[in-house]
Amino acid sequence: MTKLLEVANLTVGYGEAIAIDDISFSVARGEFVTFIGPNGAGKTTLLNNLMGVLQQTSGTVTFAGEDLKMLKPEARVARGIVIVPERRELFPGLSVEDHLRLGAFLRRHQGRAKMAAALERIYALLPKLKERRKQLAGTLSGGEQQMVAVGRALMAEPQLLMLDEPSTGLAPRITEEIFEAIDRLKAAGMTGILVEQNANLALSVAERGFVLEVGNVVASGEAEQLRQDPRVLAAYLGAGDRYREAMTDT
Amino acid sequence: MTDTVLFLLVDGLTSGLVYALLALSLVLVFTVTRVVNIAQGEYVMLGALTLADLLQGRMPGTLYLLIGGLVLCVILDAGRWRRDWRQALLYASGLVIAGVAALALTRGALALHLPVIGMMVVALILVAPLGALIYRFTVHPIPNATTIVFVIISVGVSMSVQGLGLLIWGANPYPVDPIAAGGVMMGPVFIPYQSFAILITALLAMGGLYLFSEFTLVGKALQASAMNRLGAQFCGIPVNAAGALAFLLAAAFSAVSGMLLAPLITANYEMGFMVGLKGFVGGAMGGLIDYPLSLVGVMIVGGLESTSAYVASAYRDVLVFSLLIPILLWRNTRSRVEAR
Repeated sequence: MTKLLEVANLTVGYGEAIAIDDISFSVARGEFVTFIGPNGAGKTTLLNNLMGVLQQTSGTVTFAGEDLKMLKPEARVARGIVIVPERRELFPGLSVEDHLRLGAFLRRHQGRAKMAAALERIYALLPKLKERRKQLAGTLSGGEQQMVAVGRALMAEPQLLMLDEPSTGLAPRITEEIFEAIDRLKAAGMTGILVEQNANLALSVAERGFVLEVGNVVASGEAEQLRQDPRVLAAYLGAGDRYREAMTDT
Repeated sequence: MTDTVLFLLVDGLTSGLVYALLALSLVLVFTVTRVVNIAQGEYVMLGALTLADLLQGRMPGTLYLLIGGLVLCVILDAGRWRRDWRQALLYASGLVIAGVAALALTRGALALHLPVIGMMVVALILVAPLGALIYRFTVHPIPNATTIVFVIISVGVSMSVQGLGLLIWGANPYPVDPIAAGGVMMGPVFIPYQSFAILITALLAMGGLYLFSEFTLVGKALQASAMNRLGAQFCGIPVNAAGALAFLLAAAFSAVSGMLLAPLITANYEMGFMVGLKGFVGGAMGGLIDYPLSLVGVMIVGGLESTSAYVASAYRDVLVFSLLIPILLWRNTRSRVEAR
């Protein structure tokens, strides 16, 4: 498998405070990886750096063989690095369809037919968006807004799709709907990085996982393996009591 | 009595429309870039004086400002040559072509003795890019500065541009021909054709901006950048280009406003500041974000200005700027209600 994204010794900070401390990992084409960990572990910082809205202090990020350091966010989107941000970052006064069209902003010269076809693909994947097509984003429910964010990102035809906590603040049924869409994308060969607090959900989607704590990768491996890892079980999979019991027994 | 009232109404409406173009510019710039642009009025001056030069057959000084600005752009881009010389060369040659085109256009227009409307278009083409250039020099390098920093910068820009205006045109006022001389008696009131020209141009400008923002993807992208800068970046919208475009459009609207206003009051190097501030008072009514409310604001400013010029002409500007106090108080109560 060829590596699509290679991150080497990446350090990112806000002034003096270091949020990502010398981490290295890679993502192969067609692979879904996940970063799990508590609030403030640096997950969002990592994605913001990959997106180009936050510069690294040191280390390199290579995407499809190209060093990303000097590239602005729009140049990264043009290369297919696209994010579904944690706070969705929608445009409250614009309609759902406007969001989707703007998602394809960099491909606006490809003509009406391609735009219409791309819109239809998104509506097929997320049917609720079609119903709400003319509605302003500011008036949508949280789940619908999340779907708009996903749809908007997909319109950019991503090579690497980064999802930042897509389940935050959503009802379980809606979360399920969103993750079904992610599953279908994955089955279609999409490469992705999923950042989640809900580790169980994340490890059920991704092939490989990384546990991030205060800017460091403290555990990593195959998703199945991580699910069995006692530390992960204790901290993120809500099996803390069982783990402690097991420890005191021995 | 009714004659007087009608006259004041027409007069107020005319100046209101001139300020409306200013308020439109201010709202556009503020929503997209978060810059409260005190220097917006200077484009009024540049528009008026450029038109005056063109109509009197002189090479307008604005052309030198434009070419100087383009040269400065190339110099600021120097760092890119080492990284990516192809892109840098493309950029530099694009700017050189733009400069040469502007020169050719001006010479051609002067040789052809275009009518006033034609000269207005040429003046517009010379002044509007200055907005994008000023964005490049002042806002582009520090996109995340606070509002107050941008206010201070724009005061500096205003002073510098006024200084350049004085240097190029001197302190003398220049007469500017109206689009159409004369006027028409409507009932008891005489309405100059220029007032109609102002009405039509203002409506066309506002309508044009509306159609552009609602029915083109680039217009939507501009709105998106205004609503959520980060979200726009994530869509691949180049927010710096959006900011430059907002500055360019705003400069164009303000320049048009100057060209329409100049025949009524003659053009001089310091005419812009006052007009800019009056547009600001109107725009403040809409909190610099609401187009319709800003239009209401500028109409109130125009009306108050014409009536106070009649009743107590010495206090005209005092009364207009005092309007800012009730407007801010009203905004304050409104935003509290909204917060609840």
